[in-house]
Amino acid sequence: MLTRRVFLVGTSALVGACALPWQASRAAEAPIKLRELYNKDRSFSDLALANEGRRITVEGYMAPPLKADARFFVLTKMPMATCPFCEPGVEWPRTILPVYTRRTVDVVPFNVPITATGTLDLGEFTDPDTGFWSKVRLGNARYERT
Amino acid sequence: MFHRLSVSLLATVAISGTAFAQDVAQSGSQMYTDAEAALQQRLGETPNTHRARNVILFIGDGNGVASNYMNRLWAGQQAGGLGDDYVQPQEAFPELALVKTYNINAQTPDSAPTAGSMNTGVKQRFNLINLGENAITEDCTTEADNALTLFSELVTDAGKSVGIATTARLTHATPAAVYAKTAYRNWEGDVPAECTNSKDIATQLIDAMEAGTVDVALGGGARYFVPKGVETPNGGSGRRENDVNLIERAQADGIQVVADMAGLAAAGTDAPILGLWSDSHASYEADRPESEPSLADMTQKAIEVLSQNENGFYLEVEAGRIDHANHATNAKRAMIDGKAFADAIALADEMTDDADTLIIVTADHEHAIAMNGYCGRGTPIDGLCYDVANEGIMHADEPVLASDGKPYTVVGYLNGASSVMIEQADGTYTAPEGRPEITQDEAQDLDYTQQVLIPKSSESHSGVDVALYAKGPWAHLFDGTIEQNYIFHVMNYAVNNGE
Repeated sequence: MLTRRVFLVGTSALVGACALPWQASRAAEAPIKLRELYNKDRSFSDLALANEGRRITVEGYMAPPLKADARFFVLTKMPMATCPFCEPGVEWPRTILPVYTRRTVDVVPFNVPITATGTLDLGEFTDPDTGFWSKVRLGNARYERT
Repeated sequence: MFHRLSVSLLATVAISGTAFAQDVAQSGSQMYTDAEAALQQRLGETPNTHRARNVILFIGDGNGVASNYMNRLWAGQQAGGLGDDYVQPQEAFPELALVKTYNINAQTPDSAPTAGSMNTGVKQRFNLINLGENAITEDCTTEADNALTLFSELVTDAGKSVGIATTARLTHATPAAVYAKTAYRNWEGDVPAECTNSKDIATQLIDAMEAGTVDVALGGGARYFVPKGVETPNGGSGRRENDVNLIERAQADGIQVVADMAGLAAAGTDAPILGLWSDSHASYEADRPESEPSLADMTQKAIEVLSQNENGFYLEVEAGRIDHANHATNAKRAMIDGKAFADAIALADEMTDDADTLIIVTADHEHAIAMNGYCGRGTPIDGLCYDVANEGIMHADEPVLASDGKPYTVVGYLNGASSVMIEQADGTYTAPEGRPEITQDEAQDLDYTQQVLIPKSSESHSGVDVALYAKGPWAHLFDGTIEQNYIFHVMNYAVNNGE
């Protein structure tokens, strides 16, 4: 059976580091789940590694923003009215994904499903504005209700 | 008249005696004969009045009757059956009671005083652990005069060993109730600066291991044993505000400190073991890497080590993450952890002898969880409710629709973050578009959170009774509807009385 993961990884392997426009848009068309970015041992999955630097679409929920007029929010895999992980200095959970947006965030209630599409960035990063430390994030992102 | 009476008498005899079972039209049914066999088994049972050498207390955190039902169907369906006729290992135990779980000042209980009541024999106040009724939550000045005697201390005095295995943090409420006395369950790694005579829960665990009142402690929560900024054995960072490294202290005292499955397997049985698999809680079973011990792995090692003591042991085993998944209204992870709980129970039962080991399986409290209907047989417990079919046994092909024309899941919660009520710009909550339409694929996804009514940041416990299953010495003393603190009294009686 051809799973979405196999398809994406296989496609990425074929094109190597040179993503073609149709390939990127193909990835963006198929929302992935946050948990698919990780292996059980907390390392990044093949899917995440294959899509590093590419635009992907991830489904989830918008945690209540850290501050008003931000261009940043935290995507959670489940609805979270408060985000206990959305603070600096905690161990990195696999249940959230920081999203840096093109425009100021228009808040979506925490229990409304959304998809976020952006460039997948892997590796440690500390946001100079918020102090938010992350191991993975989406950049140059947009989002919409599903 | 005489004729009618004779027929009636004959029918009564036929129903009450197996010798005449052939006179009952349905006596050939397997359901009928299975039930007759169960009756005969019960008639042949005699109370076990041996002295209990060992006591194992299994606590499924938040695993009330509804959650247990969910686990049963999940396990049964995973085994290829319809689910509802499946028997979990604890459900084959001979003794059963319902347990009232309220705290001294809380109709809806929390996990700290409930576990405390099982470990001390008295109910306690909300959010504190093992302090008497005059203690005040978060007031450390009330600790000294209200400290209670623990079951772990009593059995240690009797020469037994003590162990804890949990998928939560070892400093979390339920495991802490084995060894800690504190005015606030959240003082896991530090106490307020003014509480100079108090000790945080992690320190109390190491104190207990050094004193010999805890010999094996396996679970999560390494961050509360290591100072802030210092790396934990799991690669994370400590949370303790003071500079005491409890892991180094434990190692210096001869305690084996292990951080993964390989370490646990290699640990010897001749010295205490402190196992810390994660910085916070251990993994949900659905997310657990092979390098991390399961609850059954922990239970097995604990029994292997503790049973070296010829005087016996007390072991508390907690499936802590059933509770967390229920709080998240993520029923699927709760039921998967429920199966892992059952696996640990089955293993403990296999490794011990009913003649000398009292095994108790219960929950500390229920959740605001319930099952929707009317679903046909074989409806996947992790998905939508499928209609009852008029012919055959299996459910119909179509899901049951609510009055809004939309399907719904079998499992539901009353409150939680996945409310169908959406916060509006003015701060009010409403559902202008109605309930979301859900497909079976969506409902069965591992991360799916059930539709609930009341919006809350975290789904709540409920005060509904929980079940207790027991076998072994004096297990027959569990019967009827009991107070939760009565559990301690049976355990204490069982280790002190009998042949």
